[in-house]
Amino acid sequence: MSVSVSDQLIAVLPRLRRFARGLTGSAVEADDLVQAACERALSRAHQFQEGTRFDSWMFRIVQTIWIDQLRSRDIRREEAEEEGVNVGTDEPGRRAEARLALQEVRSALAQLPAEQRAALLLVTVDGLSYKEAAEAADVPVGTIMSRLARARTALLAKLEAGGGLRRSAQDAKAE
Amino acid sequence: MPRPSDESLIAYLDGELEESERAAIAHALERDAELRERSAVLSESAVLLRSAFDEVLHEPLPERLIRAARGESGVVADLAAARQKRWKRVLGDRRFWLGTAAAASLAAFAVGFGIGGGDVGLADAIVAAYAPHSGDQPADSFPDNLAGYYRRYVNMGPNDGTTFDKLPQNFHLPNLKPWGLEFQGARFLMVEGQPAMALMYTTANKALGPVLVVVANSPHADKGTDFYHSGDINVLRWRHHGHAYAIAGTASINYLWNIHNDLAYQFDTI
Repeated sequence: MSVSVSDQLIAVLPRLRRFARGLTGSAVEADDLVQAACERALSRAHQFQEGTRFDSWMFRIVQTIWIDQLRSRDIRREEAEEEGVNVGTDEPGRRAEARLALQEVRSALAQLPAEQRAALLLVTVDGLSYKEAAEAADVPVGTIMSRLARARTALLAKLEAGGGLRRSAQDAKAE
Repeated sequence: MPRPSDESLIAYLDGELEESERAAIAHALERDAELRERSAVLSESAVLLRSAFDEVLHEPLPERLIRAARGESGVVADLAAARQKRWKRVLGDRRFWLGTAAAASLAAFAVGFGIGGGDVGLADAIVAAYAPHSGDQPADSFPDNLAGYYRRYVNMGPNDGTTFDKLPQNFHLPNLKPWGLEFQGARFLMVEGQPAMALMYTTANKALGPVLVVVANSPHADKGTDFYHSGDINVLRWRHHGHAYAIAGTASINYLWNIHNDLAYQFDTI
């Protein structure tokens, strides 16, 4: 086991968890996914190519495991968890609005096809360039570009239909 | 110039266009109010999306992930060696099980009377669930029986005289603390004429509720995980390499499935 790989893994864990949370829609399932990715990365550390981005490599492992799970598991999924989401009446109106907006965004994301979801999470959420996202997703840059466009327009349509965009991003940031 | 496509506009907003293309989009935005509006809502949706997942970055890292990153989760260990040790790790050695077979019968009897309210007891429930006549097909009564036992177990008071059996030192007790589940106690059972254990885990989180884990020897072939519902109780059951496993709880199938995965790792059944 390479110590440096472990160190890099720990450094990238928060981002991997965010990526996995977006993919799975579940905090518990996301952490399972990240754990499996860590284990796979450590067992295949020799396959990591020096000079390439470690985070992109890890994003690819997370995505690969997730897609494998989607294909192989016959999970009777219930509604994706929306942990911590509580639009109870005790909350101040502005905060409740923000929570609702963010919940709508997560719900809208969860409705997108898997590959579009991944593209959005890599580029729009994590800030990878198209080239880096393409490496992480193991697809050409043009594919990332078209997936992103379809994902962004579909997300926008869902948010507009649900009223999510009427709640401002500023409200969401109050969260 | 025709209006830029969404793909070009989004690439422009993401800073991914070449200079000439960028200048063309910028020029189009200056002239086209509708395009500016489209650009604004696309940008706003991106901000919302980032905000929706920002909180994850600020959450404390679960210990199990740090351990996994350090290679301490055990899964990357030599699997061949792990398989050789599986029997001892999971169910203890042969001498222990021979010694507890009689105790299991007695415990099963005690459970039937200690908890029972006129219904089938734990031993009956488990035996019926894994009855030899069921072959490779799960008995129809399995989820209801196990769910019934689960309900009685959960509703037991601390002072109603029911005691737990002491775990032997060589028994590998699954650690479910990462799921917020604390081991409460175990009872010996007979399943398919083989000794087994019912492990009860509790949690302060009422939304998740207690979880019951059953570990048994099994003469039947491996079988993938089956899902059952019995009222508000969800049950998962699978067999692997001479062992039968089951999980019951009121938590969602999704949550139980993840515990199932964790257990499978700990029992080396993946």
